[in-house]
Amino acid sequence: MALITTFEDITIADLDALKHQKQAEGWRCVQIFTTHNDDDGSNDLTYTFHKDDTQANYRIKGITDKDVIPSITDVYFSAFVYENEAHDLFGVNFEGIAIDFSGHFYDLAMNEPMTIMSPEKKAAREKAARVAAAKAAKAAKEKAAAEAAAAPAAPAIDESKLAGLDPEKAAKVRAAMEAKAKREAAKAAEAAAAAAPKPAPVIDEAKLAGMDPEKAAKVRAAMEAKAKREAAKAAERKGE
Amino acid sequence: MGAFKLGGMTLKSVFKKPETIQYPAETKTLPEGMKGHIVCDIEDCNLCSLCAKRCPAKTIQIDKAAQTWSINRFQCVQCGACVRECPKGCLTMEPTYTAPSTSISVTTYAKEDAAS
Amino acid sequence: MSKATVIPFGPQHPVLPEPLHLDLVVEDETVLEVIPQIGFIHRGLEKLVETRDYNSFIYVAERICGICSFGHSLGYAETVEKLMGIEVPERADYIRVILHELSRIHSHLLWLGLAADAFGYEALFMHTWRLRERILDIFELTTGGRVILSAVCVGGVNRDFDAQVLSTIKEKMDSIRSEYKQICNAFLKDSSVKNRLVGVGTLTREEAIKYDCVGPFARASNVAIDCRMQASGAYSRLSDFQPIVEKDGDCYARLKVRLLEVLQSMDIIEELIATMPAGDIAVKVKGAPVEGAQASNALEQPRGECYYYALGNGTKNLERMRMRTPTTANLAGMTMAMKGCDLADVNMIVLSIDPCISCTER
Repeated sequence: MALITTFEDITIADLDALKHQKQAEGWRCVQIFTTHNDDDGSNDLTYTFHKDDTQANYRIKGITDKDVIPSITDVYFSAFVYENEAHDLFGVNFEGIAIDFSGHFYDLAMNEPMTIMSPEKKAAREKAARVAAAKAAKAAKEKAAAEAAAAPAAPAIDESKLAGLDPEKAAKVRAAMEAKAKREAAKAAEAAAAAAPKPAPVIDEAKLAGMDPEKAAKVRAAMEAKAKREAAKAAERKGE
Repeated sequence: MGAFKLGGMTLKSVFKKPETIQYPAETKTLPEGMKGHIVCDIEDCNLCSLCAKRCPAKTIQIDKAAQTWSINRFQCVQCGACVRECPKGCLTMEPTYTAPSTSISVTTYAKEDAAS
Repeated sequence: MSKATVIPFGPQHPVLPEPLHLDLVVEDETVLEVIPQIGFIHRGLEKLVETRDYNSFIYVAERICGICSFGHSLGYAETVEKLMGIEVPERADYIRVILHELSRIHSHLLWLGLAADAFGYEALFMHTWRLRERILDIFELTTGGRVILSAVCVGGVNRDFDAQVLSTIKEKMDSIRSEYKQICNAFLKDSSVKNRLVGVGTLTREEAIKYDCVGPFARASNVAIDCRMQASGAYSRLSDFQPIVEKDGDCYARLKVRLLEVLQSMDIIEELIATMPAGDIAVKVKGAPVEGAQASNALEQPRGECYYYALGNGTKNLERMRMRTPTTANLAGMTMAMKGCDLADVNMIVLSIDPCISCTER
């Protein structure tokens, strides 16, 4: 006998069939509300219907400024309140509302106030974005270096350019190109070595945090020794 | 004359005690647990700031360096969240409301041995 | 040749408890059409979920409206508990329902007083509010506040009722009951009241269903919908619950439904006090709602069905909190009920939906 709630995702195209089906079966329109997604500025509309003990929620995701939603007021007249509210507070566009106030139902000082982010939320999101960006940049750098090391693409001698010049000049330009290619290859190799995917953090702080001081000191010493060995090995490899 | 339906009630009210009291000459005895204003027993307080974090109206300020606990009584909504959250139990809600005043003031409690 | 004029009603009007604007299209003394407009008390409270975590938001939710205050805090707490899968102890359920039914009695007594004041019967208004004061005394005794109770928290209730408090509640209920019968008599049998209310603002059963009306407004038009029939929480422990339904659909029927609901609520409270179990009053709530988790709930507030929805995003702040109050649902029905009525009846019809516009706009 308790309330049964269901949640379903639908598209704008399903709305027409849905409203007629619900009316035919005798469902009551409870409400329509909007959720604003701060990530991409789109809105989600949720329609709710009620019959006997079931409350059914239907959600349309990703509504942009260009989407026009057909109104359900031809079937459910009381929805004009919710559709005007969604338009005034969130900027969702409807067509064919029975009583269309064109933005004057909630005559507020600012347009679409619910889509404006509050300063606290903005600050929290910016901080999260900075952390994510730093992480992504690091990962991208490592990936690029790995690719460069895998296929060092030295700029080839540009034969097309040489074709149109007379022999003496051509020889000079060729020498210049070879020198340039050598310089670039050296640079690429250096960059690869510098940005090579770092081995596991020299001192794994996370591991040490959980141990008692004496053991931690011993483990720290062992980690440092290992790091020294690995560095020596890498240098050897480079020197070869 | 069937229109005077409240006749019985009106007649009785002539002889009964009035429902209201002569305030401010008489005051009602306030029940225990009545909401009013927050009082802090600063000596027990360990300045953990849990009350400041939980306050929905952001009225409590804790200054660890100066060892003080302050509250803006005019911003407080008397919800009692700080009283319930305090791990030391040093906050209580006294039943009398903050008296009206012409300026907004912040009440500060400072520890006795605070560095001045 | 008469033409239609537009008369603005509100937002400031002596009969309105809260600001609502209606443009009445009137010809002679008959109202042809009504165009409502709201937004005078919009405070953007749903947006405050971004800055208050789910525990602190309950204090915001109960301040949406002074009359339906407890209902909003209860509905919010129930929705968040559904979202996070928290099971509330049984004693807490009983306390919540007792306070909610007391809130319903106080809201109906308030409305009865306003209705009496609206048709000019001030003595009845004073007597009704005198009885309402006894309910507010109960609130003061049990929770510390008269209007904003702060009694509910996510996970249970904040204060317990001991045996003495329960017996005080029962005493006050009995003292109200005896005088309440006389007030009912004055409302229902008085000829001047009947002249103002009978046959005014009639909404047939088909219209009430078509315009999705809820609460006593719909029950007066023979539509038996009441969220308490879904029997959640302590409502499931009641021996029997039948919604009070009237057939006529005019303002007099809505008055009768609310008068009888007060008596029904008093019976519910007495039954729950008699059968209250012992136990804890709250569970500890840890963690945050899962990202993408949704929950929706419906609660029968004094004015009708109130819909709640919560969406989590993995942090302590909810992503979205929605409350759709019964007055929003009844606005369409009200505009339809006013078609063809006299200009003098407009304020009675507006009052008969029990408008709580601050809940409508949040």
